Amino acid sequence: MMSSVPGADKKSKLLVYTIEECPACGQKTKRAFTVGDYVTKDGAKCAKCSNQTRVSLVYAEGAKSS
Amino acid sequence: MFILPGIALQAIGIDSNTIFLIFWVGFFFVTFFYQARLQSYMALNDISRGLNKLKVMKDKSRKEAIDYLVNVGKAPSDPTQRVDQFLDYVTIMPVDIDPAGLVGKIDHVVTTNNDRVRAEVGTLLGQGSPVTISISENLLEVATSLNMIHKIVRHFYLLGKKTNSYITLLQLQMLMPMIIQEADALLNAVDSFKLGQPVGDGIGPVIVSRYMAGKEKRAVAKDTVMAVAEYKGRKLYVLKADGPMAYVGQPGVAIKKIIEEMGVKPSAIVMIDAALKLEGEKTGEIAEGVGAAIGGIGVEKFQIEEAATKAKVPLYAILVKQSLLEAITVMRKEIAEAGDKAFQVLNRVIEEKTKEGDDVVVAGIGNTLGVAQ
Repeated sequence: MMSSVPGADKKSKLLVYTIEECPACGQKTKRAFTVGDYVTKDGAKCAKCSNQTRVSLVYAEGAKSS
Repeated sequence: MFILPGIALQAIGIDSNTIFLIFWVGFFFVTFFYQARLQSYMALNDISRGLNKLKVMKDKSRKEAIDYLVNVGKAPSDPTQRVDQFLDYVTIMPVDIDPAGLVGKIDHVVTTNNDRVRAEVGTLLGQGSPVTISISENLLEVATSLNMIHKIVRHFYLLGKKTNSYITLLQLQMLMPMIIQEADALLNAVDSFKLGQPVGDGIGPVIVSRYMAGKEKRAVAKDTVMAVAEYKGRKLYVLKADGPMAYVGQPGVAIKKIIEEMGVKPSAIVMIDAALKLEGEKTGEIAEGVGAAIGGIGVEKFQIEEAATKAKVPLYAILVKQSLLEAITVMRKEIAEAGDKAFQVLNRVIEEKTKEGDDVVVAGIGNTLGVAQ
């Protein structure tokens, strides 16, 4: 008889990224999440126009198998 | 197994056909009279394995909470004993045989409990950052939930075993996959909470924070902030829980205050929230509707509906679909990307349902962990 209790889940590894967006030119930069990041936090200077960027998103996506 | 008795029976003159007949008749009697007992035995085994799994989850969440309090919260003394007391703390819901005024009573009990949790964590950590304290509160709540799930499942397992109740065991066995799934989602939430990462439920606050960025914020209710913004000639009263702490705030109290105390006469209240998807629905799907888009025990929903009904303000809802696991663990890309679409829908709803010069209340509902404003 089959068990009704689920076995060990095959979870795909998730990588968490932080997206920094420049409010002036809209340039988006994706980098790995670091502890302390939060949405609306000031990010690095924009690579395109040197304005102050802001964290617009923090999200996870599945790791791509290489 | 049956060879030796078979040989013995053949020796006394019983042929193989009779042996098979005896075997099948025996098999028939056993399955006919003992089937329920056999199934009970299998259900007990199954539940026992699930129960062990729940115990491991419960112990892990407790350990994670204690580790967080010690390592990140820098608890001045060993919090283990206090945490164990906390896990068994109960909230007694008010009597509902006389339902008049019940929501107020539930609100009172729940608020008392929330205040107690914060005070308890404050006692454990002394002076800590609000983010650390809020994360500790959430970790303790996860550990409490898993502790409660384990206790309830164990209760019915032992009760079924003691009374040899086939039906009790079978029902529990059927529910086990869903119970384990929910417990697993709760345990997975621990990792996101510890790191302060926004969870899927925070998509509402993420969307409305776009209106709030750079604006002056003011507290309108406990753990809830509001900013006044402008969109195409409309004055928006945008509110969300105070981030980046892991708060859900009191949007019901806030909306009531905006309408009744601040004297704002909104033409619409638009609420954006995460909603549990049905199996088969895609993560990040957006649904529009009317009504108060807010979950929980029902107190906030009641307050919002009451304030909106009294002032005759239409309530509009924008929902971002996700599973329970996705709602309480780190925000998935599909949900984050749905935020852009939901923001466009929000703008369209404001444009379609209100006109220039109108006031609009916009509420981002959900846990604001990792989402400031």
